[in-house]
Amino acid sequence: MFNGFTAVLYREFTVYRKRFFKQLLTASLSPLLFLIAFGWGLGREVSVGGMPYINFLIPGLVTMSSLNQSFAISAEINISRFYFHTFDEYLIAPASHLEIVLGEALFGVFRGMLSCLIIFLYVVVFKVKLSFNAMFLPAILLHTFQFSALAVTTSMVVKDHSSQALVNNFVITPMIFLCGTFFPLGKLPSAFNYLVSILPLTYSTKAIRASLTGGTVEYSHLSIMGLFCLVFFITSMLALRRVEA
Amino acid sequence: MYSDGIFPTVNQTAHQSVLQAKGLRKVYGSRVAVDGIGFSFEEGEFIGFLGPNGAGKTTTIKMLTGLVKPTGGEITYFGKDFFANPRFAKRIIGAVPQQNNLDRDLTAYENLKLHAILYGMDRSGMSEKIGEMLTFAGLTNYRDMQVKTFSGGTMRRLVIARALLHEPGILFLDEPTVGLDPQIRRSIWEFIVKVNNLRNTTIILTTHYIEEAERLCRRVLIINDGKIIAEGRPDEMKKEIGQYVLEIYMEEGINERFFESREDAVIALRDSRYPCKVREVTLEDVFLKITGRRINV
Ligand SMILES: Nc1ncnc2c1ncn2[C@@H]1O[C@H](COP(=O)(O)OP(=O)(O)OP(=O)(O)O)[C@@H](O)[C@H]1O
Ligand SMILES: [Mg+2]
Repeated sequence: MFNGFTAVLYREFTVYRKRFFKQLLTASLSPLLFLIAFGWGLGREVSVGGMPYINFLIPGLVTMSSLNQSFAISAEINISRFYFHTFDEYLIAPASHLEIVLGEALFGVFRGMLSCLIIFLYVVVFKVKLSFNAMFLPAILLHTFQFSALAVTTSMVVKDHSSQALVNNFVITPMIFLCGTFFPLGKLPSAFNYLVSILPLTYSTKAIRASLTGGTVEYSHLSIMGLFCLVFFITSMLALRRVEA
Repeated sequence: MYSDGIFPTVNQTAHQSVLQAKGLRKVYGSRVAVDGIGFSFEEGEFIGFLGPNGAGKTTTIKMLTGLVKPTGGEITYFGKDFFANPRFAKRIIGAVPQQNNLDRDLTAYENLKLHAILYGMDRSGMSEKIGEMLTFAGLTNYRDMQVKTFSGGTMRRLVIARALLHEPGILFLDEPTVGLDPQIRRSIWEFIVKVNNLRNTTIILTTHYIEEAERLCRRVLIINDGKIIAEGRPDEMKKEIGQYVLEIYMEEGINERFFESREDAVIALRDSRYPCKVREVTLEDVFLKITGRRINV
């Protein structure tokens, strides 16, 4: 009954194992650069949101890095659909759309979670004191799932590789810079506040930062994240159905 | 024998049809890719869809395998509606698409294993089944090599092996030998014939190679512009237009005249004022006679 789900995960993990070091290296570099530039560069003296900037920055990097890694499955599914046509194997097989979407999305969750471990390693190396709250787990799960599901949706809607790059440049990157990842939201002009309040990353950042810096994780934020998970899951199912038009 | 689109009579003998289609249509915007075709196939048949580029062969195969939704029409496998019983039908179907769609980052073995899991095959005997299939396809030496290093012929073999792994009753092959050199093509033909003979798998193949259709298929459906314009056994279809052709090379182009016997053709040849050649009829001539065009230009 779960044959499609298992098959998708078998494929993704077999390929991932082969590319492990390459992918690990890729996932390690950009957070390290951010840490060097803003962590060391700005120094520990700068204080933001009532804490040393590096403490403020690290949860932001966790959010950014896991978002990038989870969303990266989008480009790969896109390649498998339009370039290698391997995705057709799933569609021809006796497997439901639900299994395919869930398999891909869970792989995205895995990739996102793994990138967090890299940053926690940096935390040790840079001797940053974080306070770790158990609410981090549900927060990171919801966070990575919503962007994995968004990635699946995108890969099903987008028709070629350049449109995929367009989504990365015009949706993902601006979101990373606007949603409180690198600076507190209150500093932006109020017009931005409306925009930011409808973007899913805003709530992820709030919840994840609170869980790592001794704040309280708001249930309302987790609920909104859950809602985004549901919405993007539904859109990916609808988008996949449209593929077989 | 020539039907004008919808296959008129369905063979209602004791044999159950494994696949039946009625009024199958696919429209892309204003372009009609498949224009109301129908057929009924029995177990163990070797069928060919022969037609020029853009005739609608791939679109037909995609509808029959569930990759593309028909705009209209019915598909039944063993009497059961395809869309009402997708899981049942999809287990029966094996498909070799026009473009090789192997996972290039996986080895031959891993590609087959992925397929085995996807089709819910039994975990315990899986490894042996894959090994047997690699042997059957003559690919044992390639077992643990990355697919991206394979030649076109080896890839094609592996795609066919993969489609056979779950022991489908019906195998669809979309242009199985396109782009392969003559020797490799021959070896793929032998492989497909072996599948049909040893496993009694029903085979539905599309091609625009006349020779491929004539040699392999016991029944050919000639498709043009999304319609079936002729169908039958290759030898009978040829007999119907005459066994021999006299090709007359005139300034405006080649003219063809059909004859029942070589002797008649040779007599006509002697009377001709133009350079001529006598040869046996092919399915290309059948196509030419109906449409006024050639399959391969
Ligand atoms: N996704 C699509 N969107 C629009 N038109 C399409 C699409 N797929 C196929 N067509 C059109 O439908 C017609 C039939 O195409 P199809 O690929 O089925 O032909 P074919 O017989 O397989 O040809 P070939 O020998 O080139 O593979 C063509 O005119 C093609 O341009
Ligand atoms: Mg085709």
